[in-house]
Amino acid sequence: MTEVDALLQNIDYAAAVILFCIGLYVVVAKGNLIKKLLGLNIMETAVFAFIVTSGMVDGGHAPIVTEAATPPFASPLPHALVLTGIVVAVSITALALALIVEVYRRYGTIEADELRETD
Amino acid sequence: MKRALAAAAMVAVAVPMLVAVSALPRPGAPDGPVHTQVAARYLAAGAAETGAPNLVTGVLLGYRSFDTFGEVMIIFTALAAVMAALPATGADGAADRQPAGGGLPAIRVSPLVAFVVRFTSPFIAAFALWVILKGHLFPGGGFQGGAILGALGILLTIVLDRRRVWPLPAVARSRLLQAGGPLAFAVVALAGLWLTGYVLGYPADPALHAVRSLMMLLLEVGIGFGGGAIILALFLRLRGD
Repeated sequence: MTEVDALLQNIDYAAAVILFCIGLYVVVAKGNLIKKLLGLNIMETAVFAFIVTSGMVDGGHAPIVTEAATPPFASPLPHALVLTGIVVAVSITALALALIVEVYRRYGTIEADELRETD
Repeated sequence: MKRALAAAAMVAVAVPMLVAVSALPRPGAPDGPVHTQVAARYLAAGAAETGAPNLVTGVLLGYRSFDTFGEVMIIFTALAAVMAALPATGADGAADRQPAGGGLPAIRVSPLVAFVVRFTSPFIAAFALWVILKGHLFPGGGFQGGAILGALGILLTIVLDRRRVWPLPAVARSRLLQAGGPLAFAVVALAGLWLTGYVLGYPADPALHAVRSLMMLLLEVGIGFGGGAIILALFLRLRGD
């Protein structure tokens, strides 16, 4: 039972893992390239949720250190890392969308199985 | 069949990850390694060392500014790659006069929506400016403000007709603005090299704290306006303008 207790204690992390797997399922099971990209975005969101969750602290405040603010503060490092990650995710999404547009222009479809046949 | 196989694969992926996650320290535990390693140092000395009470900004532009430089280059490279992958359908500026992209359907927007967007857009722009300029004191920063600016530009290009938004695509297409983030980093990196001997170094001398604030502000403004222009330019290129 200790494993179940440990998992329940880290239920926030478990939620991120499940969200990640939902995204991975969409990437694997769906044939539409736009849907695959949506799945990839769900996976990215799950990773960001996981990292941000790790940075929080019990009863913590935002890490903005002024006279009025009192400790404990949430860890600023995960937030900065996730900000970087979000920008990278946006870049990936934009580039993937551009490639999908170009695939549609050339082959007239964005379904993965139909694309495999046209080859 | 394929779906069942995929679902089974997901379970096979999820179980090891759940086992690993259950071995982590409890989220929110004050003695977790997330809080006791570098973060403790950032919290203790970050505001004084970087001059930014908002420590997320301090980490982004101070301690991990090389990381942020890479981040700025990534989104700039993404724009370059999108422009290479999607050749423009017409010459630059042609989209301002007539719909391009092979007969895109004109979006009919209700006058109410158009009025509300026109009415609120100055406030949205002011909020974006506030987020960019006050990112070291309050929640916010260059990337967040740039996202707001870019979203505002996308909203306006969707809702208003082409005659009214004519400056926006031209602004987003400005190479100088698109490269705003990398250019700001280049200026600040060279200034840091000249002042401290280190690339992207900030002067620690209390007499030069105004210079340090100015360098961070330049980075925020470059990231914010450059990011906004890149987001709008990505949207316009994907739409076929």
